[in-house]
Amino acid sequence: MTILSLDFMQRALLAALFTGLAAPAVGTYLVQRRLALMGDGLGHVALTGVALGLLTGWAPVWTAVIVATLGATAIELVRERGRASADVALAMLFYGGIAGGVLLTGLAGSTAATLNTYLFGSITTVSTTDLWVIVVLAAILVVLAVGLGPQLFAVCQDEEFARAVGLPVRAYNLLIAVMAAVTVTVAMRTVGLLLISALMVVPVATAQQLTRGFRGTFVLALALGVIPSIAGVVFSYYVDVAPGASIVVIALFGFLLAWPLGSLVRRRRAAVRSAESDARLAGAHVAAEQHAHQHDERCGHPGVPHEDHTDYLHGGHLHAQHGQHYDEH
Amino acid sequence: MTTVVDVRDATVALGDRPVLHGVDLRVRPGEVVTLLGANGSGKSTLVRAAVGLLPLVAGEIRLFDTPMAEFKDWRRIGYVPQRTTAASGVPATVNEVVASGRLAHRRPFRRTTRRDKEAVDQAIDLVGLADLAEESVTTLSGGQQQRVLLARAAASDPDLLVLDEPNAGVDRRSQEAFARALRTFVASGRAVLLVLHDMGPLAPLVDRGVVLDAGRVVHDGPMPLPPAVAEMPHQHGHGDDTDVGLFG
Repeated sequence: MTILSLDFMQRALLAALFTGLAAPAVGTYLVQRRLALMGDGLGHVALTGVALGLLTGWAPVWTAVIVATLGATAIELVRERGRASADVALAMLFYGGIAGGVLLTGLAGSTAATLNTYLFGSITTVSTTDLWVIVVLAAILVVLAVGLGPQLFAVCQDEEFARAVGLPVRAYNLLIAVMAAVTVTVAMRTVGLLLISALMVVPVATAQQLTRGFRGTFVLALALGVIPSIAGVVFSYYVDVAPGASIVVIALFGFLLAWPLGSLVRRRRAAVRSAESDARLAGAHVAAEQHAHQHDERCGHPGVPHEDHTDYLHGGHLHAQHGQHYDEH
Repeated sequence: MTTVVDVRDATVALGDRPVLHGVDLRVRPGEVVTLLGANGSGKSTLVRAAVGLLPLVAGEIRLFDTPMAEFKDWRRIGYVPQRTTAASGVPATVNEVVASGRLAHRRPFRRTTRRDKEAVDQAIDLVGLADLAEESVTTLSGGQQQRVLLARAAASDPDLLVLDEPNAGVDRRSQEAFARALRTFVASGRAVLLVLHDMGPLAPLVDRGVVLDAGRVVHDGPMPLPPAVAEMPHQHGHGDDTDVGLFG
């Protein structure tokens, strides 16, 4: 295959593979806490970082990481306050990011074409340095998303409960924001800053058409992130378009396929599931399994009054005498 | 003897608005204490302060004889926040939601232990949802979701359960299921502090009622049972709609 013998394609495909894994891994948590658009805003902010790199001559990947992380921290602090003006404050931050980026790029004397490679990705511009940064950062993101999975899940699912369990909720919130910022920079070479949010959100939305649980959604979203990323880069090689566009169109196509399939699966499941599963409540008598002894005040099992009788706690179940045997209560 | 929750002269403000004024509240081991009062009387604020979610303006709260600031043993407290749903942006199974109740026992980057898994299974069995453990919580009814949240709190094997309006917007059948799960918990001799708008099937479990009015305690003592409950014949949870709410 000639496509794999080209150095720049090898780098582009590797970058796509790691981006395809990292973006949905972080995206799942953003979608879970209903912040799907956060990646979008961070992409805008990161543009200023890229432009800063072009202006100063530092590597744009690193300046983008720094500026996006600062932006993410600001967003999280504003969100935490929960003031009514938060919405407008975030909007202004995002406009500022785009405007600042275009302004600084102009000052740096770079062309619109250079800017475009960051906005929509470019398969020919992934340098060896870029690739290393992408691979290392993406690997860290996936390790964090998996390793801290239970904690991040709890924080995104129910912040108040997570705090009551004693989790450092604020630190985790900040971590998620910073992870989102780093994802944006990892992905800017392949999907680009304006479309990165799609790669964080669309695979998750597609996966949850078919899954019931968080873990299943997470794993499937990673697969659904890698496939369009690789396919999009290959497509861009044959047809000269920005890879970001082809990656996102392919991902959206996957969603269109999964949607009707998902509603079919859900309908079938709903038909199978019974409304109330606990026989103890449906009025039926459920006899307790093997019962060698008689429950009374001296048997050692704690009792609790239940209407006109006493239930005894035995192995985590409540037993009530019923004739010669015991019922589950 | 230890006191599970010891609130002394607590004043709490939400923003600039004081909600509780010098409230005292004690929960002893094995006790089931209910907070009652009209909307806006400060019931939820009091339990949220008691589990460390709201700071005090004045006064003191001790949990298991430890001042709140030094209290670290959060596994001893199971909290059920006031919720109408257990759902979020991404589907989660009953098992996954309940498993997050074990987090006070777990350290980051460590795998789930067998003990964690057993505790989760037991908690799901406690609320009678074992058959639905692998279902998405969004497909469950409101009452079933409320029981998922109870199981999540019970999964840490706590010495105190704190429940904020567990019966709000829940049908009678589910209230019975909830009461059954709570009765099992109480039978093991552990304490419960709950906010109720309407006692419903939980009434027989309650040892003591604390009534709040406009942020002050106006009654603290045994709850008089309405005759309808005291004389109710033995039934297996298919009770008639005996409304025993104090304020319902």
